[in-house]
Amino acid sequence: MYSNIILPKQWSRFTCFCRSLSSIEGQKLPQSSKSSDGISPPPRIPRSPTDILQALAATVGADPTAAHYKYHDDPYLIPLSNFRKRAYALSAEAGRKAAAWIRDEHAEWFTTREWDPPGKMKTPYFNADPIIDAFAPRPIYNDESKVTEEDLKKTIEHALLDDSIKIFQLLGGVEGVTDNNLKLSFLQLLCFYNEKEPDSLEWLEERWFSANTKDRHAATWKLGGLADKIFASLEQKTPEAYCTVIQGMAKHYQAERAYMLCQEAIEHGIPLSTSVFNTLLGCIGFLKEGTALRIETLKQLLAQMEELGLSPNEETLTSCLRSISAWGGGKVLQKMAQQILSEFRQLGIQPGLSAYYYLLCLFCKERGPRIDILSNILTDLENREKLIPKETTDTNFFITAMGICSDHLQDIDMAERLHALLMKDDNYKLVGDAYKESIYYRHFVTVACRHASFERKTQLLDTLVPNVYVPEPSVMEEIIKTLEVAGAGDRLTQAWSQLVIFGIANRTRLVERLLSAMCSCYEFQTNDIKVKIRDAASEILKFGKLTEEDGKNNNNDRRSPQKRLSADAITNIIELCSDVKDKSDPAWDTISEGLQRLKQTEATGVPTKPQVLADLAQKAASMGKLGIAATALQYLAECGFEEASPASVDTLAVILNRPQQEVETMLQQRSDIERALHPSALAVLDAYYMAKTGAPTRDSGSSTSSDSDSESSSDDE
Amino acid sequence: MSLIIKHCRSNGITSSFNLRIWRLNSTSMDVAAKKGEEEEEFRVLDILKKRDKVQKKVARRNDVQPDRADRMAVDQNWGNVWPGPKTFHPSSVPLPIRQGYVPKGQAPPGKKANAELMKIPNFLHLTPPVVKAQCEAIKQYCTEWPKLLNSEEAIEKHYPVEVITSDYCHASPSIRNPLARIVTLRVKLATLNLDKHARDKFLRLVGDRYDEKTDLVTITADRCPARKQNLDYVDYLLTACYHESLNVEEWEKDKTEDDMEYYDWDKNASKKSLVQWYLRMKNENVDLKDEQFIEYDISQIPNAESYKNAVSSLMNDGENESTVNNYAKEVRALLGLPEKLVV
Repeated sequence: MYSNIILPKQWSRFTCFCRSLSSIEGQKLPQSSKSSDGISPPPRIPRSPTDILQALAATVGADPTAAHYKYHDDPYLIPLSNFRKRAYALSAEAGRKAAAWIRDEHAEWFTTREWDPPGKMKTPYFNADPIIDAFAPRPIYNDESKVTEEDLKKTIEHALLDDSIKIFQLLGGVEGVTDNNLKLSFLQLLCFYNEKEPDSLEWLEERWFSANTKDRHAATWKLGGLADKIFASLEQKTPEAYCTVIQGMAKHYQAERAYMLCQEAIEHGIPLSTSVFNTLLGCIGFLKEGTALRIETLKQLLAQMEELGLSPNEETLTSCLRSISAWGGGKVLQKMAQQILSEFRQLGIQPGLSAYYYLLCLFCKERGPRIDILSNILTDLENREKLIPKETTDTNFFITAMGICSDHLQDIDMAERLHALLMKDDNYKLVGDAYKESIYYRHFVTVACRHASFERKTQLLDTLVPNVYVPEPSVMEEIIKTLEVAGAGDRLTQAWSQLVIFGIANRTRLVERLLSAMCSCYEFQTNDIKVKIRDAASEILKFGKLTEEDGKNNNNDRRSPQKRLSADAITNIIELCSDVKDKSDPAWDTISEGLQRLKQTEATGVPTKPQVLADLAQKAASMGKLGIAATALQYLAECGFEEASPASVDTLAVILNRPQQEVETMLQQRSDIERALHPSALAVLDAYYMAKTGAPTRDSGSSTSSDSDSESSSDDE
Repeated sequence: MSLIIKHCRSNGITSSFNLRIWRLNSTSMDVAAKKGEEEEEFRVLDILKKRDKVQKKVARRNDVQPDRADRMAVDQNWGNVWPGPKTFHPSSVPLPIRQGYVPKGQAPPGKKANAELMKIPNFLHLTPPVVKAQCEAIKQYCTEWPKLLNSEEAIEKHYPVEVITSDYCHASPSIRNPLARIVTLRVKLATLNLDKHARDKFLRLVGDRYDEKTDLVTITADRCPARKQNLDYVDYLLTACYHESLNVEEWEKDKTEDDMEYYDWDKNASKKSLVQWYLRMKNENVDLKDEQFIEYDISQIPNAESYKNAVSSLMNDGENESTVNNYAKEVRALLGLPEKLVV
């Protein structure tokens, strides 16, 4: 899952080259693996030291139930939310960092032989055999260190920028170092990194989780810096020096000086390389203003390349398209890009992933017309034997393409094709980093939720969530919507536990959405799923209470006040829970709890479905839960709903077991009916009169069961 | 620490069929607790009569997911779930395993929180399908087995020299193990095609490195620090012994009957006595010289051949019941005495 595309070091290209050479030598030679005479052993099939391991690793596929292998395989330690994933992985790396710090801080502890008597050791000795340089302490250079040009060479080789600058200064700066080749390689290092120490390659997790550090498109080149000084001090300015400096400037957007130097070099007849022009093509936008001028300069530069007899390569195409895509949209630029692409095709240069990325950026604008160039691109890429990453921007392709599938084209088939391409071989490394991966899946899941078949959706969600991807709240809402449409009650209850696990259960909007989804598909479910849904509903209510108590306990930590569930949501919970046949069902506790919340105005707003509460009152009365019925009716009356008085009449009819008309006549005489009623049902009567008159007729201190309930619960708090 | 012993036929054929791996005991010492020396501590006076603190209920985290074993599909590829060797973990293994000692009549403890299951090495990563898949994966690096080497005998015939070395895997900073330098070379003596004299000399040179039962000469070298050197050294030793045994030195002619490594009937007094006895029986008084005795053809003497064998085996193999009985039988046959009577 880690991105293997690491290109910040120059020598990495060289090692890559060496590797490909060795593989040519090792693998592809035709040979017979048969013994010549039937007795003597056949010639050995050559292989690299890791070939067997790679062959064995290829037999292991993905396990959808397991987390990434960097995490411990233990339910307590498997991270299920994005926050935990990040925290766990980075904590592990922090441990490694601490170890490295101790190693560098106390280098002397790591060079002693255990059995040497103290003071007797003559030469530094490493216990390890063979010695692994990456594990050995790094030398530290300060003002007192005695350094030679050898040290400088070594630090340049290992791309230790700060150390090499320090050594360079210790050696006497520009005048001190006499070896021109060494100066040149130092210049190359400085130009490549713009005199800034690069992020260490050692910390994989940090790179994986580093929030998308977008390249700053600004002139960051240090004018008059060490690189400029070294270049100026070179008595004999070789072509390599020119190429290095121009590329460095162009890479860090010091376009004008790079362009000037380039023209100067051409005037002096100094040969330049293709990559110099590639970088110059990439920063035309910093050189000229206006589309027409820019296009002209682009054409000029390409013509100049032809004059100098330089053949363009894949990078030339990429940088042309990169420049064009950065200049905005419009027909002119799109046409220009198509021209360039077809011309390069004629030259036999196939666009890479980066080139396609820039093309997508240029053609598929958010508000522009729908242009389907992606299908052709995908056909081309699918036909390629292998996708070889060449530039760091290659990792942008998949995320952008998926975004286009989801927003621009809204085409699930295209998304599936793209995903299949990503999963092919080891293309997954092109997904980029954690941030890009999650955006990729956000687009993918969204488009799947909207357009895929239900089976495909559930299958996709089962494999992706939560080990590969944890849905963000917006995606979760999309998922809940889909489940509601499909009427999958079982999955809706699972969605609740997922909300809790992913740490987004306190998003009130989501929970409300989930509850209304549960309500709308409740009646179509089988009985055991209905039970599950009821349980989930009461869990939701309990969870809300728990988090509130949490918030009260550590008030200081809370930055924003806890949002409460709306009255609608609570009515939904009540509606779900009231569908029980048994008097002793625990769901009644949930209902009374919910009613208390409504009554104490702990919920925002008023319910939009008061009929639910009216029905509840009747049902509760028939079950003998007079307290609950009374509370519901009182709430309705207090809120001034019209349903309050007919509901009270109905409820009384149920309690007294008489027809409605009779009850209504009885209600004319308050004292009559008061006598006929059980004391706990008097509250229902109150509700009725309150609904009629709009004011409470009796003291609220009456000893109804519901009131005593509310008192005890308020005592608890 | 694990140990891989490589067993190969010399001349470059490395046969993986003899590769063996042993896992050795970990080197950590078991410190035996001395029970007898446990000191009894003084009781502490509890003045305040503090009550034992009631253990606080630890709140269970509500976001712990159920075991992933529950979610596994029945047709999953187990190799993906458990790709490499690791300690047993109950939540990843969908098997109702039990392990542990319990008094009679009780069930052994289940897989959860079971240290017994974690202690023992498991082979969950080496299920037959996985082994098959891995073998298929590395087949591309295997060469074809030579066709004519289709039996043990053929291998022994074409590759008579065996070289045995051991490789070690450690968890330590160094990958070196001094024991890896030891090289053992084995060869069947018969395959050297030595004549009688050379064989005798060779055996005297190698001493107790020869095993009569298996006819194997085993040469082990560990004197040099590197395996390569030891390998060269055993090769050198075998070559030197072979050529030395083929040489015949001047002083070897001084070998007397006492120096013989085995009993040669033809050269011994027994034959002389037999011949003399035979001649006297025929009343031929011939005075024979020693050489003539040795060259005398005993085939004309009845039963002499088997007598010779009986005497030789008695002298060479040592006295035991069968050789002595055999000798008695042959003597009776030779002298024309009746068979031994069963009394």
